[in-house]
Amino acid sequence: MALAATLLHNAYFCGRCCRHKALQPLLGPLLSDSLSKSYSSYRRPGSQPEKKTTWQNVDLSFKKSIEVLKTQLGMLKKETEDHLAGPEGQSLTHYMLEQTRVVWEFRSQEDLNKWVISSDVEIGGKSEVYLKLGRNNQTALLYGTLNTEVPRDGETKYSGYCSMRAKPLVGSFARKKYYDWSNFNSLYLRVRGDGRPWMVNIYTDPYFSHQKDDLYNYFMFTRGGPYWEEIKIPFSKFFLSSRGRVQDDQHPIWLDKISTVGFTIGDKVNGPFQLEIDFIGLLNDRAHTEEFAYETYEKNPPL
Amino acid sequence: FILMLSLALGTMITITSNHWVTAWAGLEINTLAIIPLISKSHHPRAIEAATKYFLTQATASALMLFSSMTNAWSSGQWDITQLTNPPSCLLLTAAIAIKLGLTPFHFWFPEVLQGSSLTTALLLSTAMKLPPTTILLLTSHSLNPTLLSTMAIMSIALGGWMGLNQTQTRKILAFSSISHLGWMTIIITYNPKLTLLTFYLYSLMTTSIFLSMNSTNTLKLSTLMTSWTKAPMLNTTLMLTLLSLAGLPPLTGFLPKWLIIQELTKQEMTTTATIISMLSLLGLFFYLRLTYCSTITLPPNSSNKMKQWSIKKPVNTLTPTL
Repeated sequence: MALAATLLHNAYFCGRCCRHKALQPLLGPLLSDSLSKSYSSYRRPGSQPEKKTTWQNVDLSFKKSIEVLKTQLGMLKKETEDHLAGPEGQSLTHYMLEQTRVVWEFRSQEDLNKWVISSDVEIGGKSEVYLKLGRNNQTALLYGTLNTEVPRDGETKYSGYCSMRAKPLVGSFARKKYYDWSNFNSLYLRVRGDGRPWMVNIYTDPYFSHQKDDLYNYFMFTRGGPYWEEIKIPFSKFFLSSRGRVQDDQHPIWLDKISTVGFTIGDKVNGPFQLEIDFIGLLNDRAHTEEFAYETYEKNPPL
Repeated sequence: FILMLSLALGTMITITSNHWVTAWAGLEINTLAIIPLISKSHHPRAIEAATKYFLTQATASALMLFSSMTNAWSSGQWDITQLTNPPSCLLLTAAIAIKLGLTPFHFWFPEVLQGSSLTTALLLSTAMKLPPTTILLLTSHSLNPTLLSTMAIMSIALGGWMGLNQTQTRKILAFSSISHLGWMTIIITYNPKLTLLTFYLYSLMTTSIFLSMNSTNTLKLSTLMTSWTKAPMLNTTLMLTLLSLAGLPPLTGFLPKWLIIQELTKQEMTTTATIISMLSLLGLFFYLRLTYCSTITLPPNSSNKMKQWSIKKPVNTLTPTL
């Protein structure tokens, strides 16, 4: 029950503001300022005031555009070579035989730049969250303080969440690329937490905007000891939610078009939190035979 | 059941029509009948596929109606075979290309096929191609052959290229469908009977593949690899059918390709014939890869789906041996 309440109020705000603000650094100047003016001019307490409009940011230098064109063409060439090599850029035998794959590792600052952190500061709250490389550059440390003090703007009821989300893959010429994880059936995380419960969110980028808040979630309970934990979460356990509300019509996640993965904490407990992640990988667990954990009976049986 | 009936009704109306409005009505009935079939499973991807299908097909129907209206305005009659106005011909070519999924209007096809269930995907790629093909046949004498040939060559190229590293079987079959449509379209201005022949053989082969995949429930390449445990005979025939789709000589699928190449060389279009045979090599590569995955290799693992030991639906082993 506490978990349901956790889900409700932290994911609600995740859905409401997190993605909106998280996507701004993700997609860069391409989409940023057009979003911020699509709502009214009331600025929430946590968001930065607009300093420069989009048209003032445009840089019309010729040399820079040639360089950009060269990088994009280089990326396009690499993509073509990957396309010829086989699924996901590796040969078919590799695809057929692979049972594990490491998707995100944290060994350098570039790896950290693939992630975006956000917290309820966007809606005016007071939690803090930071991401840095751990000891010996072997892990990533997500740490901070959760503060459930509600921002006083008259309409917010709950507060206190922090999250970390991967940036979506971008191909050449700013096209969207997706992960294809259809060969696997579990998520494998090597983490060292502090005993607090986290929620893992997977975002499968939809084509139409009415599904843009769809998120597949599941919980990750950390132990808190000095020992590393290897948590396996099968994809069959992920349930569908939209803007933080668990949907009635549940279906299993389709793994062929995954955009991002995120971790959120929002368990209504004031205080510091810490999560050390070694790597995030995928596993094809041969012993796991469940296809979907929720409501596999037929909901409207024919009479 | 009533949806299947509506599909049949729509197809019949379009095929037997000689007035533009009845043809359009048949196409609309088909579109509307298949939309609930696509979105039956209520998965977000299925709904996305249904929306994409509806939008593209509605655009194509509107374009078709527009072309027939301009033709009627300029020539005073609504007969399908008498399409005299050049802009109408162009618009109609575009509309039929969108309906069929020819390049450059093919973008909806793999996504829609991926979002629908295997039987619906079968219907989408065989039954739903029949009415636009008949309209194309009826009007082929007045359409621009260069445009059709260009679109056909691009379809064959693109179907082969994009199918190369797909891992989802439905998308692979979508690209094979695009490629075969290219073969069908390239010969339509010279010998429409070959188009029909290609269409019939293609629908037969695709039906057997889809039904085989349906009984083993293979949605992705890794499941295909373990399908030999479920029905070994079906697996062998699946391999033969896939190679037939690719167009290898002793199998049936080679026949339409051979006749089309022969007809093209008779029409002094030898370069075109060479280009399309080379491009279908790309397709051959991925068909071979599929057969390699399914039959020739025995993977070191077994499927972890527990309920596949008994076959739920009757299996057709006879059709693939055609």
